[in-house]
This record gives sequence, C-alpha cells and structure tokens, in this order.
Amino acid sequence: MKTMELHLTVNGESLDWTIAPGELLLDVLRRQGYVGVKRGCEEGECGACAVLVDGKPINSCLMFAAQAEGRHILTIEGVAVGGKLDPVQEAFLDHGAVQCGFCTPGMVISAKALLDRCPDPSEADVREALAGHLCRCTGYLKPVEAVLAAAAKRKHKARRAKPVAEVAP
Amino acid sequence: MFDKVEAFYRPASVREALRLLHSGKGQARVVAGGTDVVVQGGDSIRFLIDITRAGLSYIRPRGTDLVIGATTTMAELEASPQIQALAGGLLCRAARTCGSLPIRNLATLGGNMANGSAAADTAAPLLVLDAAVVMADAKGRRKVPLAEYLVNVRTLRYAKFLLVEVVIPEPPQGKGCRWSFQKLGRTAVDISLVNVAAGLQLDSRGRVKWARISLGAVAPTPMRAPGAEKRMTGRILDQALLAEIGAEVAREVSPISDARASAEYRREICSVLTRRALDECSAHAGCSL
Repeated sequence: MKTMELHLTVNGESLDWTIAPGELLLDVLRRQGYVGVKRGCEEGECGACAVLVDGKPINSCLMFAAQAEGRHILTIEGVAVGGKLDPVQEAFLDHGAVQCGFCTPGMVISAKALLDRCPDPSEADVREALAGHLCRCTGYLKPVEAVLAAAAKRKHKARRAKPVAEVAP
Repeated sequence: MFDKVEAFYRPASVREALRLLHSGKGQARVVAGGTDVVVQGGDSIRFLIDITRAGLSYIRPRGTDLVIGATTTMAELEASPQIQALAGGLLCRAARTCGSLPIRNLATLGGNMANGSAAADTAAPLLVLDAAVVMADAKGRRKVPLAEYLVNVRTLRYAKFLLVEVVIPEPPQGKGCRWSFQKLGRTAVDISLVNVAAGLQLDSRGRVKWARISLGAVAPTPMRAPGAEKRMTGRILDQALLAEIGAEVAREVSPISDARASAEYRREICSVLTRRALDECSAHAGCSL
C-alpha cells in the first residue's frame, strides 16, 4: 500500500507519522494511541470524534489525516495540563454530566473551544456549541449546566488573578 | 473506505489543482471540507485533491459584486460582517443552519453547491440573490448562473472544471427591501425537509416592486418559484396575498417522498414556510439572526 509522511502537532507535541493517503484523521489518531477520540457514527452526526484543529472543533471522522498537515490538534488527552483538569472537565464531574462517558470527550472539546472563544456564553450559546454532540444517557441538561458553571468559574478566577489597579474603576 | 487512494495532493493554487484533476483521468476527487466526500466514500477514487490550501478562502468585494471563494467555510460566512450585512443577513442565516458547529467549521460554500444536493441550505438564498458561480478549467474561467449550474452539476458537464468562487451581485438596497430564510428540519442540525428563501423590494406605497422566492428539497434541484414571484409583483403584501402565494408555491414544486417526509407533507410545508417567510418580510427588514 502507498504511504505518505504527515507532520503535525498533537497536544503540543510535534510529530511525524506515516499514513496511507486515504486515511481519516480519526483512524490515525486512534492508531497512534489517542483513544479518547471516540469512534461513533463515522459520518459526522454524533460528535464523539471531535477534536480541535487550530482551536476549532471538527469531526475527525470527516477529515482526511493528510489535511492535518502542519495543523495543531488538541484531543481530550491534551485538555488537562500537568495532571490538572480543565475547569470544563471539573464542572462535568461536579455536575454529574458524565454517565457512560462515550460522548464526554467530544462535548468537553467543544465546550473548551466555546469558552476559549466566548468566555461569557449564554445558555443558548452553550446549547449551540453542544448541538453536534449526541448523548444517549444523561440527556443534555447536566452538560449544559456544567459548561455554564465552568464559564462562571473561569471568569471568577480571571478576575481574582487581575492586579487590583486594573479592577478599580 | 478510501483504500484505493494512491496519493493525496494539497495544491497551493487553482492552476496546480486543475493540472492534478486533469492528470487524474476521472479517478481524482476534489475535496474541501470533506463532509460530503467522506460520507459518500468511493472505491473508485485513486487520487484526492484537497483544495483548501489553493487560495480559495475569501470574502471580498469586486466592483459592486461580493465574491466568496469556494473553500470559505459556513462558520467563516456566519462570522463575516460582510455576510451578516448582505441582504439582511439572508446567507448568514442559512449558513448557520448547515449542521452542527464541528460540521460548519469544515463544510464549504463551494462544496454545498458542487455536491449538487437539492436540499443544500445555502442554495435557496443564493438563488434569491441571483448568484453565479465561476468555473475554472485549463483554458480559463467562466461565469455560470447558479440556477444553470445546479441543473447540470450532477451530470459530467463540469467534470473537468473546478468551482472557484460564488459571485453575488449587489442586491436591491433601501428600507423597502425585505429578506427571510425559513428551514424545517427534523432537528436543529438536520438536513432540510424544506427550505425557503425570500427577497422583496416594496415601493413607497407598500407594493411589491421586486420579488424572489426560492425553495430547497422540493424538486430535483433547488429552484425559484417564478409563478409566485410574478403573481406578487405590483400587489400589497397583506394576509390574503400571503395565503395566495403560499398556495401558488405549492403548485410550482415537485417534491418526492423519502425517509424524512412524504411528498404531500413537503408540499404543504412549502406553503407554510413561504407564508412564514413573507410574514417575516412584512414584519422586519432583515432575518432574525
């Protein structure tokens, strides 16, 4: 079988892989051990395979691996930094937004992208961001609550971290 | 699924993409967002040509036209101030309904046309806006009216061409101009069962001076409803006219029954969505975004 070289960055690590030209990003990521990227419907309906490409959520089952050349990929494995969970992950645990866990990596990835882009989302914004992620256990209320709580927590932290002089009117 | 693929190309220009398409001798497939190409699969595909790096992602004015590069994504359209301002946000509204955000970050405007689906969400607004597509081949470029393109896209007529951009002429301007996009899907991120786009220009006495009504998923291709458009012209947009036009549109469409809806249901929904679109036009100047 014909192969080609792929250079990309996954979770901050610069990598060179050998792939088949027709392989999908989902298949390559899972083969390389990023099994937090879930194989669900394989046709872009369920969102379980979502990863961030240059900060934007996409379904990795719909992208050819070769299209990731030179791109920065973030998978669920790279969301916690130095063993510390992201506020979105903490909030999913605190709010019981995880049941079987299959949809969770995709939901967390999309939620993180939302909060990075829009730190103070409305409930409608959150629902819009999670709309491509199917959950067959908990439903959607708890994940939505978790993302809103994570946003509030991140905002609180950001305010506390600011020097006093900047906060004063 | 793509086991027969021997090479994946990422041309940096349209010229290079066309050269690769030509040398692929019918076994090359052009891919951009991949949201249709990947799902359709293909054991006969030996070469994939990714055009997302060929310099076709842009939204810019050219003279009085607005030109959108073929690989501009739905998410980029939604976020563009130019597209938000164009025709009361008509195209912006439609781009937002093209599936979930992870889909809209991949799916492109050119792909939505080139895939040739009767249900393409952005086709009806582009028909209302009298859009054209620019096709490139080795000999040069030519502009084709979108309606003509949509009729032929599923034949082999454009096999040697690359759709490079969508051209939107300056739409009617002023406070008499009204726009609406209506879509019915099974869920918020589903494909259209029916979609309707409308554009109206009213004169100072509230009479319809210019009218466009287009529909998707109710005929072999996205279509205009010329009978309804003609019937509205010169008339006051009141409730009686809304009902009359809704009924006229239902006569003009030729829907089929499939897994999502029956032909009878689709025909009824054409009336309902057309009335809603015209109702929105009578109430607001632009689409509710």
